[in-house]
Amino acid sequence: MRNINSVKREFLKKWMWGIRKYSSQKKNMSLLERKKAIKLSADLAMASTRNKTTRWSKALIANASKDGNNKVHTEHVLGSSPPPRRVRKSSTNYSHGTRIRSCRNTWRRNRAVHRPKDRSVASFIAKKLVQKRTRRLKSLLPGGEFMDGVSLVEETLDYIQSLKAQVEVMRCLVTASELMILNPS
Amino acid sequence: MLHCLNGSGNLGASCSDMTVLERQTKWQQQQHHHENHQPYISATEFHVNLVFSSSSSNNHPQSQGSVMARDGSALGEVLAHSVNPDPGFCTELDAGFGSSSGFLPKENIKKRKAQNSKVAAESDNKDKRVKMSGEEGESRVTNQTSNKNGKSNANKNNRETSADSSKDNSKISEVQNQKSEYIHVRARRGQATDSHSLAERVRREKISERMKYLQDLVPGCNKIAGKAGMLDEIINYVQSLQRQVEFLSMKLAAVNPRLDFNIEELFAKEVFPSCAQGLPNIGMPSDMSMCNTPSYLQFNSTQQLVSCCGGLINNAGMSPPNMGLRRNISTTPVPLPEMSLDSSCFAQILPSSNWEGDFQSLYNVAFDQGRTASFPSQPFTGLVESSNLKMEM
Repeated sequence: MRNINSVKREFLKKWMWGIRKYSSQKKNMSLLERKKAIKLSADLAMASTRNKTTRWSKALIANASKDGNNKVHTEHVLGSSPPPRRVRKSSTNYSHGTRIRSCRNTWRRNRAVHRPKDRSVASFIAKKLVQKRTRRLKSLLPGGEFMDGVSLVEETLDYIQSLKAQVEVMRCLVTASELMILNPS
Repeated sequence: MLHCLNGSGNLGASCSDMTVLERQTKWQQQQHHHENHQPYISATEFHVNLVFSSSSSNNHPQSQGSVMARDGSALGEVLAHSVNPDPGFCTELDAGFGSSSGFLPKENIKKRKAQNSKVAAESDNKDKRVKMSGEEGESRVTNQTSNKNGKSNANKNNRETSADSSKDNSKISEVQNQKSEYIHVRARRGQATDSHSLAERVRREKISERMKYLQDLVPGCNKIAGKAGMLDEIINYVQSLQRQVEFLSMKLAAVNPRLDFNIEELFAKEVFPSCAQGLPNIGMPSDMSMCNTPSYLQFNSTQQLVSCCGGLINNAGMSPPNMGLRRNISTTPVPLPEMSLDSSCFAQILPSSNWEGDFQSLYNVAFDQGRTASFPSQPFTGLVESSNLKMEM
């Protein structure tokens, strides 16, 4: 496993850098804007610590780039903005095959008539529950719609670790900032 | 009927260089070649041959376990183990497949999968050997039934453990040879040998392995045994973490009206004496232990709250984060009419699944506060805002 402290350090560095970039562009942001900026920088920093080795990080960056408001900032934060060709290519690669798969899955799900045949009702119910929850988990994970069972679990593992690190770093920063305010000397 | 092939030079190429398909074709070639020469060996002698095939083995390092399936048994068992067994081994397990010879074809269970390749062996189950060897670096060698020849058993164990240890090499080669690869899986006794169900089982076991890791990661998952419950816990945990991120970012936005996180100052203060040396402008000190000293922070903040905020702070009780108790930061009513909250309870954040409702309400509170109040840039604005974020466990 990765060294969690180094991950945190890297995350903090990138995060602060992103925030500084953001605040250098825009002055006098409202609370919500600030919050959005903070969160976006944090998410991008977290995703970039993974260095595009995991699918959720790629999906997160891709989603951030797609969103019109964040696009410019994302490109700034991620260093040299990738050449547009590459960005488009990756997004289409990402969407084409997986879109087909997701459509097919939805179609299958809607179409199939499920009947507990010779198995007991209990196992059927259990299976349904698991399916429902898997779907929910997929909706939570960035880019999770298009993962199959095994990779879903792996990605969840990685995502949880990153989220934990992110939360801890943010909490430390919050505490430190509060102390700064209370003790301005 | 078994048919031990002596490893001739045909199989001289290392396992890692050949795909399974090539290996199988080679087996069949050899089988045809040797078919007329070697007598059939009965099942009982099979194990003997397994062990004592050193006489017939040459120096080629691989001992690919491909034992032919015998006739007359109900189960088709396929021994799957690593591609690259220990070179030190002398057991020779080569045998041709039954399909191409005159033997009664056992159920050759071969599946084509794009990811893994393992050497397949179909063995007689008259001895009721049930083995499942591990996949992808996790070995589950269950040698459940007794073997007539204890030595062969030990040898098998050795082979499989050493095979597992060399799985990394095999993995690399497997990744390279992804075109036409087979997964050979042993069906357990009494289970369906349908190729679909075997594939299903492989997949299920992979998933359950990963879930075990998740169990360690997510708190409170140890007691739950079952996919649905665990998934539920995982979902709750991920949601709570995401909400924490939202909340903390909102808090940070509230604390810092100008988004100037002066990390250098933060570290230069007394609060972080350990990290106060020469900070680069943007970078962090190399041994930043900010996140590792939360307890230190807590204690320090208690004193500071008490000392410097004097009249503003009524009672500030702190508890070390390990105990997970509440931490109260209360302020006297600051003359802002909209916010006249006396105290705000600040629970030490412990991830749990009880947070959902609280976070929701909290987030709404913060949101409303952000909208209604017009924040002049007062020195205590940040404090008041943060103190108004009421969070209860």
